[in-house]
Amino acid sequence: MAPVDATAVLNDVGERAAVSPSADIASTGASQSTPPPRALGVTFWLAAGWIAVLLFVAVFADLLPVRDPDALGIRTREVEKFERPGWNAPFGGDGVGHDQFARVIAGTRPALIIGISVTLIGGLIGMAVGLASGYLRGKLDAVSALLIDMALAFPGLVLVIAVRAAFGNSIYVFVALFSVASVPAYARIVRGATLSLSERAFVDVAQAMGASKLRILWRELAPNIAVPALAFAFIGFALVIVAEGGLAFVGLSLDQITWGQLIADGTGEINEHPHVSLIPATVMFLTILSFNLVGDGIRSHFAPREVATRRRFRTEGPPSPSSGGSTLRVDQLRTTLHTQSGDVRVVDDVSFELDAGDCLAIVGESGSGKTMMLRSIVGAFALADVTRSGTVEVEGTDMLRIAPDELRSVLGSHIGMVPQNPLTALNPVRRIETQIIEPMRAHRSISKSQARAEALELMQHVGIPDPERRLRDYPHQLSGGMRQRITIAIALANQPKLLLADEPTTALDVTVQDQILRLLLGLQRDLEMAMILVTHDLAVVRGFADRVAIAYGGQLVESGTIERIFNDPKHRYTAALLSSVPDLELEPHSRLVTIEGQPPPLIDPSPGCRFAPRCPAATDLCHTTEPERTDDEDRWFRCHFPVTGDAEIETAGSRSTRPADAIRAETQGVN
Amino acid sequence: MAGTGRAALHDDAVLRVVDLVVEYPLDRKNVVHAVSGVTFDIQKGTTLGIVGESGCGKTTVGRAIMQLERPTSGSVELDGADVTQMTRRELRAARRSMQMIFQDPVSSLNPSRRVKDLVREGLEVWGLSEADMPPGRIDDLMASVGLGGPAVGERRPHEFSGGQCQRIRIARALVTDPEVLILDEPASALDVSVQAQILNLLEDLKEEFGLTMLFISHDLAVVRNVSDRVMVMYLGKVCEIAPNSSLFDQPTHPYTRALLASIPGHQLDLPPAAELISGEIPSPIDPPSGCRFRTRCPHATERCAAEEPTLVETSPGHFTACHYPHH
Amino acid sequence: MLLVARRLVRLTIVLLAVTFFTFFLLDRSPGDPAAALAGENATEEVIEQKRAELGLDRPLVERYVDWLGGAVQLDFGDSIVTAGLSSWDLIRESLPKTLELMILAELMAIAISVPLAMASATRPGGLVDRMASSTAFGLLALPSFVLGIYLAFVFGVHLGWFPTIVNRLPGLNDDPLENLRQMFLPSLTLALNLVAVYHRLLRSDLIETLQEDFVVLAQVRGLSDRRIMWRHVLRPSSLNFTTAVGLNVAGLIGGALIIEVLFSINGMGRLVIESVVLEDFNVVAAVVALLTVGYVTMNFVVDLLYSVLDPRIRHGAR
Ligand SMILES: Nc1ncnc2c1ncn2[C@@H]1O[C@H](COP(=O)(O)OP(=O)(O)OP(=O)(O)O)[C@@H](O)[C@H]1O
Ligand code: SF4
Ligand code: SF4
Ligand SMILES: [Mg+2]
Repeated sequence: MAPVDATAVLNDVGERAAVSPSADIASTGASQSTPPPRALGVTFWLAAGWIAVLLFVAVFADLLPVRDPDALGIRTREVEKFERPGWNAPFGGDGVGHDQFARVIAGTRPALIIGISVTLIGGLIGMAVGLASGYLRGKLDAVSALLIDMALAFPGLVLVIAVRAAFGNSIYVFVALFSVASVPAYARIVRGATLSLSERAFVDVAQAMGASKLRILWRELAPNIAVPALAFAFIGFALVIVAEGGLAFVGLSLDQITWGQLIADGTGEINEHPHVSLIPATVMFLTILSFNLVGDGIRSHFAPREVATRRRFRTEGPPSPSSGGSTLRVDQLRTTLHTQSGDVRVVDDVSFELDAGDCLAIVGESGSGKTMMLRSIVGAFALADVTRSGTVEVEGTDMLRIAPDELRSVLGSHIGMVPQNPLTALNPVRRIETQIIEPMRAHRSISKSQARAEALELMQHVGIPDPERRLRDYPHQLSGGMRQRITIAIALANQPKLLLADEPTTALDVTVQDQILRLLLGLQRDLEMAMILVTHDLAVVRGFADRVAIAYGGQLVESGTIERIFNDPKHRYTAALLSSVPDLELEPHSRLVTIEGQPPPLIDPSPGCRFAPRCPAATDLCHTTEPERTDDEDRWFRCHFPVTGDAEIETAGSRSTRPADAIRAETQGVN
Repeated sequence: MAGTGRAALHDDAVLRVVDLVVEYPLDRKNVVHAVSGVTFDIQKGTTLGIVGESGCGKTTVGRAIMQLERPTSGSVELDGADVTQMTRRELRAARRSMQMIFQDPVSSLNPSRRVKDLVREGLEVWGLSEADMPPGRIDDLMASVGLGGPAVGERRPHEFSGGQCQRIRIARALVTDPEVLILDEPASALDVSVQAQILNLLEDLKEEFGLTMLFISHDLAVVRNVSDRVMVMYLGKVCEIAPNSSLFDQPTHPYTRALLASIPGHQLDLPPAAELISGEIPSPIDPPSGCRFRTRCPHATERCAAEEPTLVETSPGHFTACHYPHH
Repeated sequence: MLLVARRLVRLTIVLLAVTFFTFFLLDRSPGDPAAALAGENATEEVIEQKRAELGLDRPLVERYVDWLGGAVQLDFGDSIVTAGLSSWDLIRESLPKTLELMILAELMAIAISVPLAMASATRPGGLVDRMASSTAFGLLALPSFVLGIYLAFVFGVHLGWFPTIVNRLPGLNDDPLENLRQMFLPSLTLALNLVAVYHRLLRSDLIETLQEDFVVLAQVRGLSDRRIMWRHVLRPSSLNFTTAVGLNVAGLIGGALIIEVLFSINGMGRLVIESVVLEDFNVVAAVVALLTVGYVTMNFVVDLLYSVLDPRIRHGAR
């Protein structure tokens, strides 16, 4: 295609368009649904309106009260040569006194005919080819890949000029040529989208149900490709108009009036009479822009993404008076994320304190705000619009209200963080060595060789065999357990006082989990660090922590020592959670206690107790008034009607616990 | 770990898998040995649980039974008929009596279709319509899985939570009245509080529809809860297969013992996990010779490297593939 | 090594197909170079004679094989139309201008889009981002000839800063300032279209990377935003961008042609149009072969860059 300059791009944009809906759906968590379709903005409707006007003009061009586009002003004396735009001729006249307005109108029909037919023919064939080769794979795919390769390698320009020279300049030749030429682009995009869709489980499911390949193609894949393909069709449409213009520009226009031709004709006069080419150029620009806008609008309407649109962090309200002394003090911490769907109250009135050597486990279901509690402490939110209030103090420093520079230095020297997924937590393109040394050199004046020596020592400490060699490796060259040991080493690089571990073993196998947890707890004890261990796994809590806090709906609802909480839960949610989890000590096939309903939304949470909609003991009071914190020996809870005896609700009370100390005693030999 | 042990087979099995091998070619030289000679069966109306760490081949076993993956060798018999030898048409018919539920409930449902159509699809694939079914069958099914109410069918998958999506999936699998249900981590992607709902539901449906189930999971406590028999896999091989309580009370294979000892806070009478296992799972591209567990096993000897152990009955119905099983 | 061999085989297939297709297409064209060369009043015999002289009376396949035989020895035959000059002579004359145009455009585009995309990604939805993004969207809708006209009008006609046509372009060595002054508007026109694409691409990849765990952890380690952007984010985000830059070369050739017409540059674009219209088989096939080799080579370079940028690709882990 002649002016291919935009093609490569739009291919690419289109490809993303085609792939993204699947990716979006895949990325939404299990318990979260996709956001509602995004509303179509004003620009979309303006663009759609412009397209509607063009359609109207193209259909009724003959009936419109405008001059004959071919009437020569020199003869009719109605329009002057190079007449300036005005009442007589809104778009002015050209070099021979043609009425430019009439000519622009006359150019509308060929533009739309070409655009629509090329998009339909090329798009449909391309879609069929792409679907078939993407899903059926095999030889068909190999052959079409080679053909597409050739088509892309062949200079489109030469093809166009040659064909044009061989078969003439009628609109049919043009449509045929461009339909054929656009097939590879559509095929490539649809193929890519089909490939990624085919990997998704619902295709397997359909196959397992006995559906034939044809049925899968038609019923399962095609509907999902349709929207991105439609979006791309609008963009492709614009490309065809550009292509025609480009051809006209190099002197190979159609045998009728087209916008491209008008623009080309006028360029010679750009110095004296700019309006001759500027006006049709602007009409063409608006048209292309409109098609792009509509294509883009369709895409984001059907594949809405919760895109992070801003990056803004704010702190509200005053801090509470410092008591000093503890390693970490969190007091009435509230964190709100401002998103397109509304304000998400991810952390809501959370308070706790940790001293050196303490280990607190925070346990809760997915979406209960555990990760956000940790992130709120360190203020790391990637791209988000966040407001925090309350107090977070690390070693007496107010983390919410200090200058960014100071914050960075506190973070780097006092806090270490161990992530959930060690693979995504390590930068894939940097060596292990660079990543361990970086925080040391950023916060301490220490030479490179000294840092390297420390890194080696650290790696030995976290149990990495052959550390010399591993330093030169990239993350993907290590096993999952080794990667997690590396992230622990990085977290320890500057001897932090506070260690935050966010589900450090969820991504690991159970046999490796045991190794890593023992390592973490051993280090925590040896180095006298305060530690928060976030997890969704009650067994981990029971096996490894000494204090636990239960998270629900962005709040902490109960907290205390392991023995107290596991033997005698007070909050109704804690009690129900403990007994709904299958346990090795339960007899096979015993019925589990269930909690009906779903975890609560964090946007506009109901007033009162967050658990009220699912709580069998809830009363009106629970629905209207948030329960205050009740302190009990070794623990506190927030419930209006706490569990009183074992008889009332089936709890895990009878299961005994192994104190964390026992585990620690065992770990001594290991490290 | 045996590829050859057939000792554990029953005569009255609904589903029988013999010497199943699945290999994925990686490039010209290398092959991923995903499943290397697995033999087991399931008796009617019972549940077999498969446990093992990631990459041990448990999902592949399920997919190979469904013929979603063509086995490299071995047979899969459904009511005595070998599905690996079937023509495409016969296979489609056989699939009516086997259904599989996948781990991720959300991506298992085509996002562009309505729930009612999704559930009905199972029928359409067979050229049936609702009219061929007892009246109200679809509504009953939806109610059975806890998704009653008229408006539900009109909605699309993204309007449902993960737990509800999994219910839709189950209704969809049950519509063709299958005999065998294969469940691949059906509750792992769900919230803890919702997981119990699904596990209870599956137990109810098993009773109601007389289902035979293959339950695949990495979570030992869940498998303990739903299974009648349990099979432990490691790196494409069977380690141990035994009745539920026997396996958990008297594990005899060193790997099983390590797995159980690794569960945090367990109450079993086992030494610390660190004494039972070390290191990490080797690559399935180049698995160890002899017993595949030998690189991590504290009891490994030269014999373990040279000779592959076969399944041996250590107590009634309890089979172990180890040269030196624990007694 | 195997990979390189496979690629070479593929390149050869593509080259053969593409050049033969060129011969075939030109052969089907109604025009007749012999008649054109013989002059308007030539008799049938003279034309025949001319045709035989040019070797045009032989079958298509034979002529193609002939050309191919020469081409493997880097002899692309003589121009049929321009007497006394070989195809290579013609290409050598026009290629430098086109190359200069393309390289200048790429450099300008990268120089503008990379910092702009980084600014956009640092504060998505902020003022800079909104302005940059909507400008980019607008630029995407401007075909190069329209953009060229606008730029020529504003900078050439209205402000009079730069010439609107390239006239007797001095060599880059002889008078670099004048050369660049003349090439500025054409290069900018070509570059702005690219800026739109690059900005859009790089911005969204940067934003994606910024949300990765390892970036959040880098923040928790107290590293500065600048360091995070340059050391952690840019490289893993640049794969798509690299592809676009590399593969745009094919697109650039098309774009360059139009720019050359618009600004009257005697480059490859001119040569292609003229040769195709006059059916100068040898020249067209040589140009096509050259462009194809260029495209495939760029493909290869992009792949190499990939493995430099991402060690996972280097180690075959992805
Ligand atoms: N960037 C974001 N924009 C909007 N909402 C978010 C964002 N990140 C998290 N959330 C929401 O915040 C809530 C708490 O999330 P968080 O990740 O803290 O939960 P969690 O307890 O760690 O869950 P999991 O067990 O899945 O890790 C959830 O409802 C989640 O959807
Ligand atoms: S406060 Fe009320 S609703 Fe909340 S857990 Fe207690 S009893 Fe249930
Ligand atoms: S003792 Fe030998 S055979 Fe048994 S599990 Fe260990 S390595 Fe395998
Ligand atoms: Mg989390």
